[in-house]
Amino acid sequence: MILALLLAIPLAACAVSAVARRRSVLEAVNVTAFALTFLLALGVASQVLRSGSISLWNGFLYADSLSALVILLNASVALVCSVYAVGYLREDERSGALDDDGGTNTPSFKLRKYYSLTPLLVFAMLLVTLANNLGVMWAAIELTTLASVFLVTFYGNVTSLEAAWKYAMIGGVGLSMALFGTILTYYAGHRLPGSEGLAGLNWSILVGQAAQLDKTSMRMAFILVLLGYGTKAGLAPMHTWKPDAYSEAPVPSAAILSAAMLNCAVYGLIRFYVLTSRCLGAEYPGNLLLLLGLFSMGIAVPFVLVQKNFRRMLAYSTIDQAGMMITALGIGGQLAAFALMLHMTFHTVAKSLLFLSAGNIYQCFKTDLFQKLKGGVLRVLPLTGAAFCLGTMAIIGMPPFSLFQSEFLMIRAAFGTGHFLVGALFILFGLGVFTGVTLHVSGMLLGTSEEPRAAWHPWRDSPIVILAVLLIAIGFWLPASLLELVQRAALVVSGE
Amino acid sequence: MHTLQDPEFGNKMVTLMAALVLVLQIAMVAQRWIVTSIRIFAAQSFLLAAIANTIAYYNHAPHIYAAAALTLLAKGILVPIVLERLVARIGIRQEIKPILNVPLSIVISGGLTLVGYVLAEPFYRPDEAPGAATLGHNALAVAISLFLIGFFMMINRRNALTQVLALLCLENGLFLAAISLTYGMPLIVELGVLFDVLVAVMVLGILVYRIRETFESVDVSRMRRLRG
Repeated sequence: MILALLLAIPLAACAVSAVARRRSVLEAVNVTAFALTFLLALGVASQVLRSGSISLWNGFLYADSLSALVILLNASVALVCSVYAVGYLREDERSGALDDDGGTNTPSFKLRKYYSLTPLLVFAMLLVTLANNLGVMWAAIELTTLASVFLVTFYGNVTSLEAAWKYAMIGGVGLSMALFGTILTYYAGHRLPGSEGLAGLNWSILVGQAAQLDKTSMRMAFILVLLGYGTKAGLAPMHTWKPDAYSEAPVPSAAILSAAMLNCAVYGLIRFYVLTSRCLGAEYPGNLLLLLGLFSMGIAVPFVLVQKNFRRMLAYSTIDQAGMMITALGIGGQLAAFALMLHMTFHTVAKSLLFLSAGNIYQCFKTDLFQKLKGGVLRVLPLTGAAFCLGTMAIIGMPPFSLFQSEFLMIRAAFGTGHFLVGALFILFGLGVFTGVTLHVSGMLLGTSEEPRAAWHPWRDSPIVILAVLLIAIGFWLPASLLELVQRAALVVSGE
Repeated sequence: MHTLQDPEFGNKMVTLMAALVLVLQIAMVAQRWIVTSIRIFAAQSFLLAAIANTIAYYNHAPHIYAAAALTLLAKGILVPIVLERLVARIGIRQEIKPILNVPLSIVISGGLTLVGYVLAEPFYRPDEAPGAATLGHNALAVAISLFLIGFFMMINRRNALTQVLALLCLENGLFLAAISLTYGMPLIVELGVLFDVLVAVMVLGILVYRIRETFESVDVSRMRRLRG
């Protein structure tokens, strides 16, 4: 029941926002809906911790600890971003950023578009993690793309059209490959007992019979799914849509795409990885994952180093982080799986913090180019600047912060399982991104600026404060129940 | 036995229709008029629905009838109507010069068909499932070819609308693959996929329209502001 409610609330919010006229109604509906979704996600997590896994409607919806963790992470991103969006869009309306496109769309239409498409996007992301049927999961991932295309074109200018076109087309081609992979997976299992009709693509059934799946088709299916969902996760060389989409979308949407949708894509890959590794052994899917993961980490380095725009830099950092997660998945084994789930948790907090603070900086300075910014962010926006600095240090893996722990565990797992080259490259690429990001961010935050010191904006600043406190807190003290959820999710990944 | 009930006859019918689907696909590669391409796509969708019906008939799988009817409605009728109205609104009727010329494109499509047959080979196991179940062998090869040719079209064409059509052809290839491999996915999945296809056509249609308004062209190679 709780699973159905979890899906129904964002969908209802989408429907109400699509017809509501007043801005205050839109804001209230969104924030309330996401607060409820967050509470329900907590409920799902605690229920999963108590009873293993829950399902509804003959196993059509299914949540184990892996889904519960991803749901919890995505619901918290959605809540934080919905609060932030209120302040962000009000500021956009005040500064006239919403009337830039020659008047084809009125500002109130744009607001309605944002506030109705975001719940739809969140609904699709929740459906990805709740659908047991791999085909339905595919349809939900496609729906996340379709729901967010018009968030990318939100400002309606020339570059955002270009970004949306790339996003939709690359995403569409990638997902068609993933669909092919899903069809092949269905074929691989369609002669097994208990796979007739609807249940034939149910993950919870397939996973029990994975050893009997047809090996040739699983081999092809995994490659196709890896390319398909890898496109959604922004793995190189299918990553080119990512910097464009993240830098053109309104900042709260970019935060949701970067922190939450990445989790969904990785989640989809994990589901297929578990099936394939049980069918063909961990080495075959592992090597493919390592190849793409390390390539993504490697390709992020030069682009971060020469980057001129801080939102695009964050996008390349997300590509780097996606590469890390995929590499950890490819290393395989208990420790790497634990590191992966931990990393996903930490990254979600750190990346949403970074995007939201970047949004504050962008709105205050009206530019996202390092060159025009000329430094001084810490003086003008002390709080945002400090939060951005904190998030940056966390994301590049500076020791006392949380992501250092998970990255350290990944490297340990790589060396521990004999992947010496992987470990070495991991460190090398990590250092490259470290250098690039430190260089750019220090130039941006330090120094002086002629801008007056900005005031406190409750809607935009409080989410940042909460995320910053959370980021520090979970680095030193992860609540016992969350830790247990992460551990159990890791068990689902490593398949024990 | 009546000819209609003979599985061998069904097999021949499916092979014939699959061959026609492939011919239509190659005709689309060579086509310069957008409206004609859309009609070729509609004809292709009709044939796919017919193939699905034939397979449903010979394998006594009633749920495929539903999938066939939905495909006919969505991809044979609705999508072509939406796209033709879009062409009328943006007023661009002819293809922008593709990157490779037509004869070369056709040769490449032929090569991709060969690749499709090679890739489909491991899935052909006549000894494992005799009789009606071998219906799909040629169809699978055609499905993979459609998928690959769709890819090629997407790279080769610079017109945003033709790229949307190429994406739809990829999807047609997937439908054919699902039908010939497993007699169709579960109905709920087919429904989800078709819903997504319809929404995608709407979304992409609006994008194409706005690109036309903003750039005064639907040439996607002109969109090159975002770099690095």
